[in-house]
Amino acid sequence: MSDKLIAIFGYNSKSFELITQLNIHKNKFTILDHDPLKIQQALNNGLTAKKMDYRRDDDLTSLGIGTHIDTLFCYLEHDSENVFLVLSARALDKKLKIISIVNQPESAEKLIAAGANKIIDPYEICSHKTHQLLTKPDISWLLDDTIFSHADLNMSEITIPEKSILENTFTSELNLNERYNLFLVGVVDKELGEKLYFSLGEQDHKLDAGDILVILGAQQDIKKFKKEIGVTH
Amino acid sequence: MLTRLILYLAYTLKTSLRYQSTKGFFRNVLTNSQCKLKSYFDLFMITLIISSVSLLLYEVENKAPEWTVFFEDFVVTVFIFEYLLRSWLYSDIHSIIIKQHEKAQYLNTPLHLNKVIKLIISNKSGYFFSASAIIDLLAILPSYRPLRILRVFLVFRLFKLFRYSQSVQIFTGVLINKRLELTTLAIFMGFLIIIASAAIYTLEYPKAGGQIDDLYDAFYWAIVTISTVGYGDITPTTSGGRVVASTLIISGLGILAFFTSIIVAAFNEKMSEFQDCKIRANIDKLTDSIILCGYGRVGQEIAEQLHNNQQNFIIIETNEKLVEIAKKKNYIILHDDASKNASLEQAGIHRGAKAVLCVTDDDIINVYITLSARQLNPTIPIISRANREDNVKKLYQAGANHTVQPFSIAGLLATKYINHPIAFEAIHGILHDHTDVKMDALKVHENCFLDGTTLIDANLDQYKTRLIGVSTNNPIHTEHKNSYKLRNQHFYFNPAPNFTLQANDVLIVIGRNLSIDHLQDIIETSRI
Repeated sequence: MSDKLIAIFGYNSKSFELITQLNIHKNKFTILDHDPLKIQQALNNGLTAKKMDYRRDDDLTSLGIGTHIDTLFCYLEHDSENVFLVLSARALDKKLKIISIVNQPESAEKLIAAGANKIIDPYEICSHKTHQLLTKPDISWLLDDTIFSHADLNMSEITIPEKSILENTFTSELNLNERYNLFLVGVVDKELGEKLYFSLGEQDHKLDAGDILVILGAQQDIKKFKKEIGVTH
Repeated sequence: MLTRLILYLAYTLKTSLRYQSTKGFFRNVLTNSQCKLKSYFDLFMITLIISSVSLLLYEVENKAPEWTVFFEDFVVTVFIFEYLLRSWLYSDIHSIIIKQHEKAQYLNTPLHLNKVIKLIISNKSGYFFSASAIIDLLAILPSYRPLRILRVFLVFRLFKLFRYSQSVQIFTGVLINKRLELTTLAIFMGFLIIIASAAIYTLEYPKAGGQIDDLYDAFYWAIVTISTVGYGDITPTTSGGRVVASTLIISGLGILAFFTSIIVAAFNEKMSEFQDCKIRANIDKLTDSIILCGYGRVGQEIAEQLHNNQQNFIIIETNEKLVEIAKKKNYIILHDDASKNASLEQAGIHRGAKAVLCVTDDDIINVYITLSARQLNPTIPIISRANREDNVKKLYQAGANHTVQPFSIAGLLATKYINHPIAFEAIHGILHDHTDVKMDALKVHENCFLDGTTLIDANLDQYKTRLIGVSTNNPIHTEHKNSYKLRNQHFYFNPAPNFTLQANDVLIVIGRNLSIDHLQDIIETSRI
């Protein structure tokens, strides 16, 4: 999935962790900031960076928004700046994936209204995490080890390819835990839309090509499963 | 012989648990303001005082019915009992005796009884001559009917109310605090009155056509005028007298304003202190509370979640604006610096607290608070926020049990979103309780229906919950595969159907809130 080009506006302590993660996952990205000092810093760290003023549509177009930029991260210091950026980018490209950081909870709605696909509130996440550590530490550690991949356990999503052996089978027939040592978290049944249905034994779904399975399991088990159902990469 | 008997009695009292508990009980009822019984006792005494005073006032002009005599006797008996109880509680006689005895033994000198008695008397007289004890005693007097003059002491019975009402205590506290200002003002006023009365006396004596017959009249006139009351029964007639009157009225206005401002200022200063006192008293009552250091964005979110979970918590915050926000929400907040040991102690790190959360936006402060908290309580769980990845290690060194990095988690989630958007939604939903589906940890209690059953027999599917795995540190499970190290535990992912659950295992399940809560209820009830 490294063919996508990602633009990150804002080089600061907040985006720093994102950049580290993107590097680990080998995503291609460009950093943009209006402060030349920060750009210099990013260049010194060996990152692709460019000085740019987010306020001018021409600059955004020349960057590739509307053409080859696939994802935009808005990590500017102020919520108002992010709203402006989201608004400008959405006007240029209807399909662009826009993810913005939010500082004040009341800005969340504004960012969504401006056209952001996803908003990330680090403070809210942090407080939930702290609360979870306090009340349900086991869950917290498990999530750490799966999402944040400290251990071999991993959460992954698999799109069922054309002509797969899974086509026309039902989720109830999968028996992933016995056959592949995997845990089925949920499924996106394209016939029913884009919604994720958690697999709780309430509802059976007929699988077709293009449906997505969200599974939890060891890296090698996931690989084995992918191979068997015919996922090529 | 007598000495030995007294010593024997003193030691018996010291060791007698019953004596100690009785004394403790009365101490609670009479003096411990935290004790519920005291408020009932106070209320009872206030009722007694008011009703007895009303009766005595009624008797001034009317003839009271017979039963009032019994009532008065009852009231006085209660007063006398209270008086004696307070003198008993004031100090422990037996410990004075024992102390003297031990001293005598150490110095190898005989124990002089009269010396001990003198000590006891001087000790107890500290109580008998205290202002409140004198008021108590005087409050008993008005019931001695043959001496009607003693009725004046009725006032003291009303004074006795002070003992039971906190607001009066606050008021006297404020007055005592402003002693210096009030004394200065009183002295100034005294001089002014003396000067004015002397002046008016010399100017307004009867021969000059005035109404002031003697110095007493002059003094009375000066007080009536300076207080701006001005009855008008004595009025200056000479022009000199009128000048004195005008000057006195103007200075009187000044003095009144000054007096009012002193009292208001004193109340302003004291009020926040009293509120703090009240908050501290509330904190002392809390158990199983969480100390939340920092009430910024993260702190506010956590506070709300804790509040929703009906979990007790105490916030410590330095920023005045944030303190105001918390006060509006009726949270318990200490306006103090959490990096000071005293504030953590006040929040109950030694007593009621079960965890400390350091979530200020400054890593340096978080490290410092973590370190202080760890030193004060070596076992308390501490969760600390680290804004920068490089500070995580330092926080662990300082003694944090866990760290949370807001930007790091946000970064991870963002990356997850672009690479695995659906898995992200699942995790995000679970992390934020957005969906009706949750991931939960259920503990297998000893003797509950799951203890000792295999997974196939437990059949968790019938409760519409799905088991992801079991987190445990029970060595009995080591034969099973799929074990992952999870901090100090082992996590058995996707356990086999013959996996036998043991007490204290933790089931990690996913399901709807309803079904998980239902399963939890069954586990809880089946253990009995």
